[in-house]
Amino acid sequence: MIALTVALPLLAAFLLPLLPALARQFLGPLVLLAVAAFGLCLAGNALDAPSVVAIGDFRPPLGIVFYADGVAGLFVFAIAVVTLLLWPCATPNGQPDPQITRKHSLTLLMAAASCALALSGDLFNIYVFYELAAVAGYGLAAGSRTPAAQVATFRFTLLGSLGSLLALIGITLIYFRAGSLNLAHLAELAPSTLHDPLGLAGFLLILLGFGVKSELFLVNSWAPEVYATAESRVSALLAGLISKLALLAVVRLLVLVFPVPEASQLLLVLGMLGILTGELAAYRARDFRRLLAWSSIGQLGAAFVAFAIPGPAGLMAGIAVALHHLMVKPALFLLAERWGGNLAQLAGAARNSPIAAALFVLFALSLIGVPPLPGFWAKYLLLSGLAGEPAGLWWLAGLVVLTTTVVEAVYLFRIIGTLYGHQQGSVMQSRTATTGSGIFALLLVGTALSAPLLAAPLQKMATQLADTDGYVAQVISATITAPQRSGTAP
Amino acid sequence: MLTRYGSLLFATGFAFLLFSLFIALPMGEPPTLAGQAILNEAANSVGAANIVTSVVLAYRGIDTLGELSILFAAATAVGLVLGGQARAPRPSKEDGAGGFILQTGVDLLFPLLLVVGFYIILHGHLTPGGGFQGGVVLAAALVLPVLARPEESPSPAALAWVEGLAGAAFIATGLAALAYDHAFLTPLLGAGQLGDLFSAGTLPLLYLAVGLKVGAELAKLLLRLAEEGPAA
Amino acid sequence: MSEFGLVALLVGALGLIAIGIAGLVLARNLFRLVLALAVAEAGANLLLVLAGFRQGASAPIIEGGSTLHQVAMVDPIPQAMVLTAIVIGVGVQALALALAVRAREAYGSLDMDQLRARMEADIIAAAGTAPTTSQEAPSGARPLPPPLPSPARIAAEEPSS
Repeated sequence: MIALTVALPLLAAFLLPLLPALARQFLGPLVLLAVAAFGLCLAGNALDAPSVVAIGDFRPPLGIVFYADGVAGLFVFAIAVVTLLLWPCATPNGQPDPQITRKHSLTLLMAAASCALALSGDLFNIYVFYELAAVAGYGLAAGSRTPAAQVATFRFTLLGSLGSLLALIGITLIYFRAGSLNLAHLAELAPSTLHDPLGLAGFLLILLGFGVKSELFLVNSWAPEVYATAESRVSALLAGLISKLALLAVVRLLVLVFPVPEASQLLLVLGMLGILTGELAAYRARDFRRLLAWSSIGQLGAAFVAFAIPGPAGLMAGIAVALHHLMVKPALFLLAERWGGNLAQLAGAARNSPIAAALFVLFALSLIGVPPLPGFWAKYLLLSGLAGEPAGLWWLAGLVVLTTTVVEAVYLFRIIGTLYGHQQGSVMQSRTATTGSGIFALLLVGTALSAPLLAAPLQKMATQLADTDGYVAQVISATITAPQRSGTAP
Repeated sequence: MLTRYGSLLFATGFAFLLFSLFIALPMGEPPTLAGQAILNEAANSVGAANIVTSVVLAYRGIDTLGELSILFAAATAVGLVLGGQARAPRPSKEDGAGGFILQTGVDLLFPLLLVVGFYIILHGHLTPGGGFQGGVVLAAALVLPVLARPEESPSPAALAWVEGLAGAAFIATGLAALAYDHAFLTPLLGAGQLGDLFSAGTLPLLYLAVGLKVGAELAKLLLRLAEEGPAA
Repeated sequence: MSEFGLVALLVGALGLIAIGIAGLVLARNLFRLVLALAVAEAGANLLLVLAGFRQGASAPIIEGGSTLHQVAMVDPIPQAMVLTAIVIGVGVQALALALAVRAREAYGSLDMDQLRARMEADIIAAAGTAPTTSQEAPSGARPLPPPLPSPARIAAEEPSS
């Protein structure tokens, strides 16, 4: 069942162009529904005990393993649901899109790669599926087919390939030092082979490489260009989903292989710089899409800061921040489908589309962190985690988070003021966008109402994610279904 | 000018940094923990004389699946980027066709290339080579005639069928293992006699699927780029 | 292979990476940028193969159908990884070239600086914000274009295959 979450979307993507038109429309969503069900099962089972599958029945350090703990299951579920909500629209602007099958194929490939990223327990396998998500992302980003989108995607492709190159060099370095690629095996080997400047250099290279998609400071210059030119749904997928999966891969590496203060501090400093640059640039932004792009860089910076905090507390804060962003940012990008462009033209838009405006207010309040919305709990966990660490860099990070919250509040309330202002702008309403983000809003409110219920499973997931010994024991003792294939070689 | 020197300085510095990192490593004596274990048992448990093939298709089979998907994603994305425009008019026979030497040479080479391509694919578990290398030769065989006679290019629809079905066959072989209570992508059919053409279980079948898919995919990519015409 | 030969290979691999990265930061022509990327990737792949090399070992292929004679072999895992990395590189480069073709068609140039300036202008025009040089000017003063520009070409075309 674990491997099916990857195999089924891939199979569907390969076969999609060959099918008759009617089947094409339904195959993708059906497969995604199945994946969502698998994800729920995996998350449910994993709360008792994580499950491991050795792909190809080879014992773990030799073959590749997929490891499904609570977080992985939750992310598989989230991938399927978010991809379904952001499924490429067959009739944008009213007329049918002749390229829609290709877009559907790429979206399915992206979903499969995301699931594999959440589950994989092998460093090079993570690299391969990260690349798959990246290539599908390039294709989708160029899918709006405007010249500006093509130039932006070209630059994105170059930066992404440079990042992959660095990540590959980092993986080479680690393999050269430790002689294995399995994360559990590496976790065992790390104290004697990787916790030195060489190993940390490898981690830094991989961090920069995977940081491209998770909008890490230094390698995020593509985000404002691509989000301003790509279709809103694609921006929502990239900002909401792919960034989180790249982040999760980095976090697994950090927790299992590099649980050393130097690595955490690296993450902390880069995350802090990301928050500062992102939120300040968002404050200056004049159009809606770029504002969302910059604020997304800021919030992913916050997620990096949260994951830098050692121990389950930091992981729990990180998961909360990431999941909150996963719900809010795609919804905002969906609103940008009609509201893209100059912020000034949003003047008085609340009168034309009161529901959309109300949804925006809800998401903005959650982003700022007004209780009892989930954003508040995410920020609360982050700040209390930071406060629990010794003074110095950690408290500085807390200060940065608090200060930028004020900046965030200023620019978001500025938009709310425009929306409910007296002037008349020029935006129309769009029903599909409102429906999509309405579902996200329901999810958000549901999370807010059930916050006390969700705390315990979330805590459990964070503990599981932090449990290196458990991970190693589970993977190394993974049961091989066949005793040993009998070779007949002499 | 200053930025150019700065960039050069950056590149040199980066190379020096990498050099100082890698020179500290034991060149020529890597630890090879997982690698040595595979070398010890691959011949018996998988049965392919070429151990790299065992790694590519058995031990790290899902990497290869990901790799095929990346090629598919790239070809689809290229189609998405280029496909929307009206075709550049195909060069007419006079200015596009190759001369006598090219046409005769292609006629002679075409069957040879096909044979070599399939040979490399089907012996991938015995000798150096395999689905990717053979697939590239197949793609060359398909694209070469287009140089000589631009009007006779292979049909994109046929290529799409080959590509889709080959990819599906790879996954279906992997899923078949589930029916026998094995994990996804477990090699089936027993290891066989080491060194025989029919050995290593499903590995040759997987490589055939890989070869067909890579060949169709690359041919499609090249034809798509060639359709753009000179100096678009 | 001698110690000197190994160091020479290492210098070669890192040199290719350095040349590629220098090309990526210095070049302005889109085609050269893609070539620079290819050079850098070649260097990284060479580095990866080098990581599996063992002094005095043979290629990991068993000859003669017998597993009995155990000669030392080089690590097969990096060789499989290189195969994957090469294929990934090919796919990405093809995509980048396709994008370059379209960018050149639309903007009539292959120069990254010019293309970037044109892209920025397009984004600003599409969003209807004032150009960055006059950020203090009231931004609502200009007539606004419609919120979503219809994509430049959604030409009639064949059903996607």
